[in-house]
Amino acid sequence: MRNILEVKDVAKHFGGVKALDGVTLEIPEKGVIGLIGPNGSGKTTLFNVISGFYIPTRGEVWYNGERIDGLNPNEVFLKGIVRTFQIPRLFNSLTLLENVILTPPHQEGERILKAPIKSAWEKQEIQLAEKAVYLLKKFGLADLIDAKVSELSAAHMKMVETVRGLITDARLYLLDEPAAGVAYTTARELFSFITKLREEEGLAFFIIEHRLEVLMDFVDYVYVLHNGKLLSQGKPDEVINDPKVIEAYLGG
Amino acid sequence: MINPNQILTMVHIGLIYMVLAVPLTLSYKTTKIINFVHINFITYGAYMAVFLYSVIGLKNVFVAAVAAFLLGGMMAVIDNVFVFEPLRRRGANVVILMIASLGLWIFYKYFLYSVVDAASRVIKVNLVSQLIRFENFPSLYVGGYVVKGSLLMTILFSFLLMGLLYIILQKTAIGKAIRAISDNPGLAEISGIPRSKVLNFMWFLAGGIASIGGMLWITYAIATPEVGDTLILQIFAIAVIGGLNSLLWTSVGAFIIAAAETIGMALLNQYFGVPTSFKPFITFSTLLTVIIAFPPLGAGGGLPYRFIKKRRGEK
Amino acid sequence: MLQFDILGFLASWGTFLGIYAILSISLNLEVGFTGMANFGKVAFYAIGAYLGAIISTYTILAIHNISSPPYTTEGIIALGRYGGENPALTVGLFVLSLIIGFIVAGVVGYLLTYPTLRVGPAFLGITLLSFGELLRIFLQNYEPVGKTNGIAGIPHPFVWVANTALRDWLYVIVVLGILAIVYLYAQRVVNSPFGRVLKAIRDDETAALCMGKHVPRTKATVLFIGSGFAGVAGVLMAFYLSSVNPNMFVTTVTFNIWAMVILGGLANNKGAILGAGIVTFVDRILTFVTPNLGITAITPDYMRWMVVGLLIVLVLMFLPKGLIPEKPIDTPVWKAVRKLLKEEVNGE
Repeated sequence: MRNILEVKDVAKHFGGVKALDGVTLEIPEKGVIGLIGPNGSGKTTLFNVISGFYIPTRGEVWYNGERIDGLNPNEVFLKGIVRTFQIPRLFNSLTLLENVILTPPHQEGERILKAPIKSAWEKQEIQLAEKAVYLLKKFGLADLIDAKVSELSAAHMKMVETVRGLITDARLYLLDEPAAGVAYTTARELFSFITKLREEEGLAFFIIEHRLEVLMDFVDYVYVLHNGKLLSQGKPDEVINDPKVIEAYLGG
Repeated sequence: MINPNQILTMVHIGLIYMVLAVPLTLSYKTTKIINFVHINFITYGAYMAVFLYSVIGLKNVFVAAVAAFLLGGMMAVIDNVFVFEPLRRRGANVVILMIASLGLWIFYKYFLYSVVDAASRVIKVNLVSQLIRFENFPSLYVGGYVVKGSLLMTILFSFLLMGLLYIILQKTAIGKAIRAISDNPGLAEISGIPRSKVLNFMWFLAGGIASIGGMLWITYAIATPEVGDTLILQIFAIAVIGGLNSLLWTSVGAFIIAAAETIGMALLNQYFGVPTSFKPFITFSTLLTVIIAFPPLGAGGGLPYRFIKKRRGEK
Repeated sequence: MLQFDILGFLASWGTFLGIYAILSISLNLEVGFTGMANFGKVAFYAIGAYLGAIISTYTILAIHNISSPPYTTEGIIALGRYGGENPALTVGLFVLSLIIGFIVAGVVGYLLTYPTLRVGPAFLGITLLSFGELLRIFLQNYEPVGKTNGIAGIPHPFVWVANTALRDWLYVIVVLGILAIVYLYAQRVVNSPFGRVLKAIRDDETAALCMGKHVPRTKATVLFIGSGFAGVAGVLMAFYLSSVNPNMFVTTVTFNIWAMVILGGLANNKGAILGAGIVTFVDRILTFVTPNLGITAITPDYMRWMVVGLLIVLVLMFLPKGLIPEKPIDTPVWKAVRKLLKEEVNGE
C-alpha cells in the first residue's frame, strides 16, 4: 500500500528552541494513525509544518507523491489535506449549510469578476448545495441546516468539520484532539465514525489525541513524540507497554 | 554639526515620549485593545495643569502632577468599567473595542474643546493656546548651555514614574498579576486572579502616567486641545518599536524617535534642504517602516506572512 | 424670520448624501463584511479628488496655452472664463476623472494590502491611517497641486447650464445615479459565494486559510474595490466644490465615515446609506440653520462631534448591529435546498 503522507527528517527550530528535531514517519493510504506524546512534545508543531503554517528548518514533507513543505496553508488544503483544530473553527456568521458549501475549491462565484453575475455561478452553487445536503443527511445533520453554528453541540461541530472535508476530494485528515471536550461515549462514536469513513471512503487519518483510552482501540499504528523527536512507534499495545513511553508520560 | 542644544532637546523629548508611550504598550499588551482614549489622557493631563495654573493660579507642579494623574487614571477606569468591560461581556472583539474607544476619543476631545472655549470666554484668557512655566524648578547653566527647569522637572518625573512602574510590576502581587494577564491570559484566568480589579488597576496606572506625560509636554511646548492628537502617532510608533510588548524597548524607541525628530530632522534640513514641516512625514515613515519590516510579533496576529516572501521562516 | 431655502437644502443634502453613501458602502465592504479596519479611507478619497482636479484644470489650461497653474489667481480666473466654453469637453473631463480616479485609487489600495498583510488586522487600520496622513502632508508640500491652498477653478460638469438651480439638480441626479450603481454592485458581490468568503475571513481568517481560500488576495481585491469607490466619491466632491485642498482630507473625515457605517449597521449596504443619510442630514441642517441662530454657548461644530462620538459608543453598546442589522447571504442556494428537502419528504 502506498503512503499518502511522508515526513522525512523534519526539524523546526524557533531561535534556540528545537520544537521538532528530525522526525520521520509515514501515513499509509486508508491508515488511521495516532500521534501521542506529553504536552510540548511537538505534536501540534508537526501538524503546523504539514499543513503549511510553518516552513520546516530541515527535512521534507511529501503528500501523494508530491513535495508540499513550504506551501501556504490554503495551497496545502487544495492538495487534499484537511486540518482541524482542537476547538472547532466554524464560521459563526454563516449557517451550517453555508459553512459546508464554503469549502469546495474552484468555485466560479468566488471570483470577483464573476461574483456579481449570478448566472455565472448559479448552477455550480446549486450542485454544491445538493451535494452538501446529501452528505449532511448521511450523517444525520439535515435538520440542522439552518442552524446557527454557535448553537451547535461540540459533537455536532466536529461532525460538520468532517463533512466540510468530505465535500472536497481530501484524502488525508489531520485531526487535532478530536475527542477533546466530549463525553466518553461520544468520543467513541466519533472514532467509530472515523473508522467507517476509512472503510467507505478510503480516507486516511492522522490523529493527535491525549485520551489514550479512546484512541488506542481505533488506530492501526501509533507514533510517540517527545521533546521533538520520535520516542517510540508501533502497534497500540506495543507502544502502551513500552517503558520509555510510560516514563515520558509520567515524567513529563 | 550637532550641537549640544539639540542633544538636550532630544533627551527632553525622549523622556516625555517614554512617559507617554510606556503606558500605551502596557495597556495594549494586557488587553490587546488599541485605545484611542490614550490621546485624551495626554490632553486632559495637560489641561488639568493648564486649569490649575491659569484658572486657579496654583503654580505648583507637584500638585498639578497628582491632579493630572488622578484625572487620567479615573478616566481610564471609567472607560473600562462602563464601556470596555460591558462590551467584552457581550462578546465584542478587539476591533469593536477599538472602535468604541474611537467614539470615546471623539467625545472627550470635543467635550474638552467646549469646556476650554467656554472657560476662555469666562476668564478672558486664551486657553486654547497656553504656555506653562512651573516655578518649582530653576534653570541651570552648565558650561554656557541652558538646562531648562522644565527639563530637570521632566528628568525627575520620568525617572520617578518609570521607577515606580518597575517596582509595581516586578515586586508587588498586583503587578505580577498584571504581567500574568498580559503574558498568559488563559493561565491567568484559571489561576483565580481577580481579573476586573487587576485590569482596573492597570488602566488607572496607564491613564495616570500618560496624563502626567501630557503635563510634562506642555512645559516644553504650547498647550492646545489637540496636544494628544499631535503626539499620538509618534507615541504609537514608539510603542510599535517596543513590539507593543516590551516596556524596555518602548523606552528605547522613545529615544530613537526623539533622535529622528530632532537630530535626524536637523541633518535632513541642513544637508538636503528638507523643510521642517516635513517632520510628521519622518515619524510616519518610521512608523510604517517599523510596522512593515518588523511586524509586532504576536501582537498583531498577522497571517503567515510568507505569502509575500517565500522561505522566510516562522509565523 | 428663519430663511430656509428648502430646495437648495435638498439639493445640497442630496449631493452630500450620495457622495458619503458611496464612501460608507465602500468602507462597509471592507470593515463590515471582511473585517478590515480601514482607518485610511480618506487617503483614497483624496487621491480621487486631486486626480479629478488635476486632470480637469490642467487640461483646460493646456488647451488654451495658459501657463499659470490652477492654484494661482490668474489660473483660476482663466479656468472660470474657459471652463464652460466646451460642454462636451467639460463633461468628458468629468467622466474621464471618474474612471481614472477609480482605477488609480483602487490600484493604490490593492498595492497597499501586501505590505500591511504582515501586520495583522488590528494594525491595518493604523498603517492605513499613517498612509493617509503621509499623503496629506505630501500634498501640503507639493508645489504642482497648490500646496496648502490646493487647486481651485475645477469646472463643474454642468457649468454651461445657465440656470444654477438646474445645474445643482442635474449634479444630484448624476451623484445619486452613481450611488445606485455602486449599491447594486455591492449588493451583488455580497450576495454571492465571494461574499460568503468575505464573511468567513471576517469570522476567522486562519480557518478560512485552512479551507483553501486565498485570504491575502481576497483582501487585496476588497481593498481595490473599496478604494476605487472612495476615489470616485473624491472626484464627485471635487467637481461639486470646484476646489480641493489638503484640509479637506484630514483623518476626521475617515472617522465621520466610520460613524456612518456603525450607525447604519455593519455588513449592511442599506444601513450604510442610512447612516450616511443621517449624519449628512444633521451636518447640512446645522450648516443651513446656524447662521440664523446667532452665537450659542457651545460651538455647534463641537456639539455635533460630541454627539457623533457618543453615538458611536452608544450604538456599539446598545445597538451593536446598528440601525439595520446584517442580513444573511442571499443566494439561490436556499431555494434549491428547500426544494430538495421538500422533495425528500414528499418522495417518502
